[in-house]
Amino acid sequence: MSNIIGIVNYGIAGNVHSIKKAIEKAGGETLVINVPEEFNMVSKIVLPGVGSFKDAMEELENDGFIDVLKENKKPILGICLGMQILSTIGFEYGKTKGLGFIQAEVRPMLVDAKVPHVGFNTINVVNTNEILNGLENDEFYFMHSYEVINYTNIVSLTEYGQHTFVSAIKINNIFGVQFHPEKSREAGIKLFKNFINYKGE
Amino acid sequence: MKTRIIAKLDVKPPYVVKPVHFEGLRKIGKPSEMAKKYYEQGADEVMYIDIVSSLYQREMITEDIEKTARELFVPFGVGGAVRSVEDFSKLFHKGADKVAINTYAVQEDKQIIRQAAEIFGNQAVVVNIEAKKWDNNWECYTDCGRIQSGLDVIVWAKEVESLGAGEILLQSVDKDGRNRGFDLELCRKVVESVNIPVVVASGAGSLEDIKEVIEYARPSGVAIASLLHYDKTTINDIKIYLRKHNIKVSR
Repeated sequence: MSNIIGIVNYGIAGNVHSIKKAIEKAGGETLVINVPEEFNMVSKIVLPGVGSFKDAMEELENDGFIDVLKENKKPILGICLGMQILSTIGFEYGKTKGLGFIQAEVRPMLVDAKVPHVGFNTINVVNTNEILNGLENDEFYFMHSYEVINYTNIVSLTEYGQHTFVSAIKINNIFGVQFHPEKSREAGIKLFKNFINYKGE
Repeated sequence: MKTRIIAKLDVKPPYVVKPVHFEGLRKIGKPSEMAKKYYEQGADEVMYIDIVSSLYQREMITEDIEKTARELFVPFGVGGAVRSVEDFSKLFHKGADKVAINTYAVQEDKQIIRQAAEIFGNQAVVVNIEAKKWDNNWECYTDCGRIQSGLDVIVWAKEVESLGAGEILLQSVDKDGRNRGFDLELCRKVVESVNIPVVVASGAGSLEDIKEVIEYARPSGVAIASLLHYDKTTINDIKIYLRKHNIKVSR
């Protein structure tokens, strides 16, 4: 069976190319998804994201991706804003409904430190899972001002400015990571390898 | 927080050059090859600054940018001659993760910072400040330290934060290329006056200089150029040294 990873290209998500490059470095085959019909051609989906929660949801809507994502049963990996929009609701530039896969809210980071949180930071895996297998205490690159507030689907936590936030989530075969694996050296390539080899539930 | 160690490439296409005091250039190597070398040494980011396009009022040459981005699996920042939201967009499409702006925002229209932040997210918008000291104040310069603006550095730093910039790259016209240490007071004042990350550049001549600026000013990152270019040290050696002095850096 083919194992093509589809990368959803919506709006101005500039990191599509770097994600594609990293997945290919990890040995995977990719397809950049520009129209909803192309979901049929892939076996897994990566949801990137750059910009604001509100813009991202509007762009997904304009491109006709919302319904196909909601009905989708294939494994999903959401990256950064792509993880945040898996939540029920976001509070960036007003209140916006997300895709609603996880019961969560996206709110500004309230920390005693510089925001955005930018740089390499350590993840602490609290629930072992296929995607973060072998990466339990690795360092990944973060670049964000908002965080996902969730209590039930946490798989890893990260500390910043005396504050602990959710750095990865999982529900069924849907994963989300707040960091950028495509910008995290070998650890990021390993995460993509895990996603390529993931068999689903 | 782990202090980011960033390799900075000052480029006069198609070469990385070493500007001395922002004047006089020496060719060093090809940006794509040097970026790859620093990535392999453990750089947390690579910053590519085209130091001539703004001055010559010409378009940035993006061929080298694309080639440089290809080999990197860490964030890649690009700056120089950015004059419009379209320029930002073009650079992101060539593989930049963040884009730095200076001259246009200072001389023409600061609202470009807000516009770019709203479209691309504030984490992707870096404001490059070139500071020159006058008595106990610092003034913003543009065009690689050549043109005075009359703008106070601290006032400008706060303003770009409120306009939505996600980061400041702070360079010192006085210290750049001299390898004699950072302008410590400048670094500390800027870091303390804003809540966004500040990356300091200009002046790293030794491992001690890097340690000193981190301990004194607590920047989010340090950008290093010529100290690396002449193989006097490597990123890995810098990190080992800093760790030995209890400064947190990534592996």
